[in-house]
Amino acid sequence: MLVVEGALILSCLIPAFHFADGTWPAITASGLFTLCVGLLLAVTFRQARRITDKRMAYLLVVLMWVVLSLFGTLPYLATGVTTSFADALFESTSGTTSTGATIFSAVEWLPASILLWRSMTQWFGGFGIVLLVLALVPSMGINKYSLYTAEASGADNTGKQTTSMGATVRHTLGVYILLTGLFILVLWKSGLHVWDAVNITFTNISSGGFSIYNNSLEHLTHAQQYIVALIMLFSGINFSMLYYFLTLQWNRLEGKHDQIRCYLATFLLGALFVVLALALRMGYSWSDALRCGVVQTISVLTTTGSLVADTSQWWVPITFLFVVLMLCGGMAGATTGGLKTMRVLILLRNVRKILRDRLHPRSVNPVRLNRKPVSEDIITNVMVIFLVYAAVIFVGIMLLMLSGINATESIGAAIACTTSYGPGLGTSGGFGCYVGFTTVGKLICTLLMLMGRLECLTLLILFVPRFWSRG
Amino acid sequence: MRTHSKREDWPTERLGLRRFNFRLIARLTGMLLVYMAASMVLPLAVSLLYQDGAQFSLLVSAMLILMMGLFLRNIVGHNATYDLKEMESYWFTSIIWITVPLCGTLPYLITGTIGTFTDALFESFSGFTTTGSSILSRPEELPQSLLVYRSFTQWIGGIGFMLFVVAILRKLGIGGEQLYEAEFSGTRQRKLHPRLAKSVTRLFTIYTILTVGMMALLMVDGTSVFESLCLAFSTVSTGGFVPNSAGIIALGRGSLIMVTVFMILSGISLAQLYYLFTLKWREYGRDEELWTYLGIFALMVLTSAAAFTSAGNDFLSSLSYSIFHIASTMSSCGYYLPKPQHWSFLVSVLTFLLILMGASAGSTGGGIKIFRAIALYKYIGNYFTHMIHPNAVTCVKVNRKVVEDDYINKIFAFVFLYLAFIIIGAFVLTLCDCSIPNAICMAAANISNLGPSPLINNLGGALDYASLPHLAKWTLAVLMVAGRIELFALIAIFSPAYWKRG
Repeated sequence: MLVVEGALILSCLIPAFHFADGTWPAITASGLFTLCVGLLLAVTFRQARRITDKRMAYLLVVLMWVVLSLFGTLPYLATGVTTSFADALFESTSGTTSTGATIFSAVEWLPASILLWRSMTQWFGGFGIVLLVLALVPSMGINKYSLYTAEASGADNTGKQTTSMGATVRHTLGVYILLTGLFILVLWKSGLHVWDAVNITFTNISSGGFSIYNNSLEHLTHAQQYIVALIMLFSGINFSMLYYFLTLQWNRLEGKHDQIRCYLATFLLGALFVVLALALRMGYSWSDALRCGVVQTISVLTTTGSLVADTSQWWVPITFLFVVLMLCGGMAGATTGGLKTMRVLILLRNVRKILRDRLHPRSVNPVRLNRKPVSEDIITNVMVIFLVYAAVIFVGIMLLMLSGINATESIGAAIACTTSYGPGLGTSGGFGCYVGFTTVGKLICTLLMLMGRLECLTLLILFVPRFWSRG
Repeated sequence: MRTHSKREDWPTERLGLRRFNFRLIARLTGMLLVYMAASMVLPLAVSLLYQDGAQFSLLVSAMLILMMGLFLRNIVGHNATYDLKEMESYWFTSIIWITVPLCGTLPYLITGTIGTFTDALFESFSGFTTTGSSILSRPEELPQSLLVYRSFTQWIGGIGFMLFVVAILRKLGIGGEQLYEAEFSGTRQRKLHPRLAKSVTRLFTIYTILTVGMMALLMVDGTSVFESLCLAFSTVSTGGFVPNSAGIIALGRGSLIMVTVFMILSGISLAQLYYLFTLKWREYGRDEELWTYLGIFALMVLTSAAAFTSAGNDFLSSLSYSIFHIASTMSSCGYYLPKPQHWSFLVSVLTFLLILMGASAGSTGGGIKIFRAIALYKYIGNYFTHMIHPNAVTCVKVNRKVVEDDYINKIFAFVFLYLAFIIIGAFVLTLCDCSIPNAICMAAANISNLGPSPLINNLGGALDYASLPHLAKWTLAVLMVAGRIELFALIAIFSPAYWKRG
């Protein structure tokens, strides 16, 4: 339980230092409270044994997200921007899971500190608190790899830069911070206020999608929208790859093109369809269609959820395509949600392999990724995750419909929350928000967000009886 | 063996592509068409009996099909070598499932009962794939013979042209097994007799007994001979065409119960039914899939009855509606009663799940099949065990037999493809201005060969598909065939690996 401490301190220090408006007592209070609880836990469990069991790792990860989301509600409740606990929990979880679904219909009315807190939760939520904790507490002696597989996409072991886990985490974190700084600078230079630049960068680099304006990206100039699109594009790329790319170790990128090629191809094809549909069917001018199409497609593919226009008004097939792209998601090892490009690739190639097996029963057809054969275990893992993912979404839709939400919105909300995209379909989509959902509906969405972020298996395994049985 | 002269080579040969035994495929397809023309005797007889004025058109279409068949068999397929490789069995499966429904449009078009080619095609594909989606909003306006023909196509489609396979089996040698597998995916584990021809004959006998039995029972209840015939054809094949616009509710109470019972029976694999009729109880009790099927059925009926009751309907009508609805959905028949006064969303979602899962493997129903669902469910359970105890040794057993990992992987891939097809299909449907939930339900219902379902709305009260644009009808027709031949055969002929020589 020791690890919780680091994250908790972080989560309280940050809101505590920007009491710029009238809400500072509330923020400070919640910050201090969180800090105290964190320290208390740390002191109490100082003698705790180290985590070596795989089960402990699963439990720890889940617990950390839950605890963080719970404490994340404090600023909302303390400042009184929302009185209902369900709302605060929804907003907080949406932040830490970098989903970007919101229950605030008019975000411009919120105090600045709350806005920053929202962006902030996404920023470190998106990167994965686990990675953060690992970087800060390298001397913990945990079986780090088992923790890492619980959090980031397990199948990706092609992206590890070094043999040392700690170094990997440090590099990745470095890239993350560097990109954040860089883009804040770029946006600032493009004429945006620093405040806006910081918030927008925080929420987009983490593929979160909270906005400080009701009309999200529509508020920005066209050039700035393209910059944001670039931020999102980066947020969908594996951070190890970005690390090599930025440190000019291009030779190490060789033979690892499969994923990025697939990612970019999906993006381009999707954008092509959307641009054509916008221009030909929806009567956008070509330049508008290009801008909206490109920016929105990348926002969907990386499951960010920033909006360039009110997408709930767009033609239905575009919406449907968006749903599919959300499910695909960005690359593994990035901040995006969804199934991840790599899994989709493996799924498709496995189909091809089976076809070949059937056509030539005696031939050997391994599934290859980056020209290397993928082991059976990983294929199974991908298949299981795919199926469980589908099942979770299905159950989510069912529960949402039972809580009294109509079919379209249930489908939209369940998929958007599980893939950590954010805006759903219908009233919860576009510039709308989830305020119309019942309390039960919001709690279901909250659970789905956690499910999606932890890739279902990590959370579900806690409900398997054998998990708790001894031995 | 094959001695083609240069002149006779197929164009694919010159492109460096694989050489297929198209000659044989043409010959077999031709033979099938001849049989199909022969089967037109039945609607023709009905037409003569009822004097409905369609006899001439039916005769003409039968002759046309016969001529086409003879042309393919004796001229294109002249001199074919009887050597069907597995690759070619894919071609054959796909080709017959496209050719036969195409020829099946002729009676509709020649009698002029269905105006456009697309509509006739939709109706014919829906017939042969036992889907039961219809573009006819008022079927009773058609001549009786055509209605019988419509249901008869389902009956033929339901048995998967097995009769035909029997007829030509002796000449096929080893290719026959593969064909059998392609037609009846699930039967691999449970052949009724070491000799293929024997086991196919047995299955066919069961199928016929069911049909005749159902027809007799319906007639006893007082349904007209004509309607009994149509309904028996459509129910046993899990098709779901209804010969009048009032729907299945127009039948008497007793007949409705009959229909329900036969729907449940037709969702069970034919092999199991054979054991039932020959009183081999031991085989019966052992079959996991059967018991799962019945268990899920009972569970779903109870759940949905409870849901309807709590939504405000009275209990008895909820229960009877639930029994009928769940039986119709699981067996992928696609009959529907008028909706109860208060609908329940829980039932919608459960229905969708059942549409995907479908009936037992080896039955005439569609969907992913219960056998696969059981295997996947068990496998995922094992997977969780593995996550906790990485060194545990586990295996999946269905019917007390180990299912190899290879096979599991195939099932996974199948489910993935199935969902992918639904998504692609639904995407095209949204292009035709369907709403998203509606598009998804429609795609799922048609790939599972269910046809109409209370889930699909906005199609007008009669749940007919007539108002859809052409593109949507074509898409649905493709989905029906894809679902019917279980995807792989269709995908195989479109994959580059298939065409490459080597």
